Amino acid sequence: MSDCRLEPDVIRAAARGEWTESLRAHVATCADCAIAAEIAPWMQQFARMDDRAHKLPDPASLWVRAKLLQSTAAADRASLPITRVQIASYLVVAGCWAALLTWKWSALSAWINSFTPAHVILGAAGAETAASLSAMFFLMLIVLASVTAMLAFHTILAEE
Amino acid sequence: MSASALILEAPFAALGATTFRRTPKRPMDEAKFEAFYRKTAGRIWSYIYRMTGDAATADDLMQKTFFRFLRSNPAIANDDHLRHYVFKTATNLVFDHFRETKRIRERVVEPPRTSDLRADRGELRHDMMRVFAELKPQERALLWLAHVEGSSHDEIAEAMGVKAKSVRVMLFRARKRLGDLLTRRGLAPEGTR
Repeated sequence: MSDCRLEPDVIRAAARGEWTESLRAHVATCADCAIAAEIAPWMQQFARMDDRAHKLPDPASLWVRAKLLQSTAAADRASLPITRVQIASYLVVAGCWAALLTWKWSALSAWINSFTPAHVILGAAGAETAASLSAMFFLMLIVLASVTAMLAFHTILAEE
Repeated sequence: MSASALILEAPFAALGATTFRRTPKRPMDEAKFEAFYRKTAGRIWSYIYRMTGDAATADDLMQKTFFRFLRSNPAIANDDHLRHYVFKTATNLVFDHFRETKRIRERVVEPPRTSDLRADRGELRHDMMRVFAELKPQERALLWLAHVEGSSHDEIAEAMGVKAKSVRVMLFRARKRLGDLLTRRGLAPEGTR
C-alpha cells in the first residue's frame, strides 16, 4: 500500500469546494481520497468553530514561569549530591549507634540496673557492684550524640 | 538563564549533522518565543480542546506543552519543525491525560460549558463536539492533524508515535467512522454520500 500523493489536494479541494476535473476523476478511483473528500467539508467547518472567545495565557507570563521551573529543576539537580551525602550520614550515624550499643550492651544494662533501689542499698552497704563503663564509652557517646544533633540541625536548617 | 544554555537538543540539533561546517545555533529569546507562541498557541489550544472537549484541560495541557517546549531549549530552527515538535508534545500530553484518567476508550467528551458558547452558533458547536467525541482519541488526533493541520502521513506518524505505514490504514478507518457517524446523525455534507 502506498500513500496517495493527491490526498492533500483532494482535502483542499473538498474543503473549499473547488474541484478540478482531474481531481474528480481521481476521487472516483481512489478509496482513500473518496472518504477523505467525504468528511473534509465537515472537518473544515468543525475547525472553523469560533474559539476566539477563549483568552490564551500571556506569553510573557508563560516565559517567566518556564524559566522559574527550569531554575527550580536546576536547583534540585544541584542539591541531589548533598541529599545523597545526607542520607549516607544518617545511615552511618545509625550504624554507629547500633554498633556502640551492641558492643557495650551488657555493661550498659548492668550500669542501668545499678540504679535500682536494691543495688543502691547494696552499694551503700559497701558491696561491690558490676556496673562499670569506661571513659572511652562516654566519650564515644558524647561524640555520637553531638553528630546526631548536628545532623538534625542541618536537616532542619536545610529544609527552611 | 545564560544564552548558551538555550540550544536546541535533538532531534532538531541533528538537522545540520550532514555538513562539516556547523552553523552556530541561535537560542530562542523571549521575543522570538512570543512571536512563535502567538502564531501557534491558538492552533494548539484548538487541537487540545477538540481532543479533550474541556476548555480548562485544554488551558492546562497547552501551558504544559509550551513549558516542555521551552525546557527542550529550542533554538531558532525552521518554524515548521518547531510547530511539528509542539504538536507532537501536545499529542503526547493529551494521550497521557487520557491514560491518567483511565477512560481512553469509554471517555465521552463533555460538551463545552454554556459560557463558552456563542448564542448563535452554540447548538451547531454542541452537535459537532458530540460527534467528534464519539471517535476514539487516536482517531480524533489523526483527523485533526490530517484535515486541519494539513500534516503528511510521516508527520502524523511522528506526532503520534506510530509507524508511518500504519497511518494510511488508521486514517482510512477514522474517516470511515466519522463518515458513518455523520450519515447516521444526518449531518453528512450534501453531495458527499
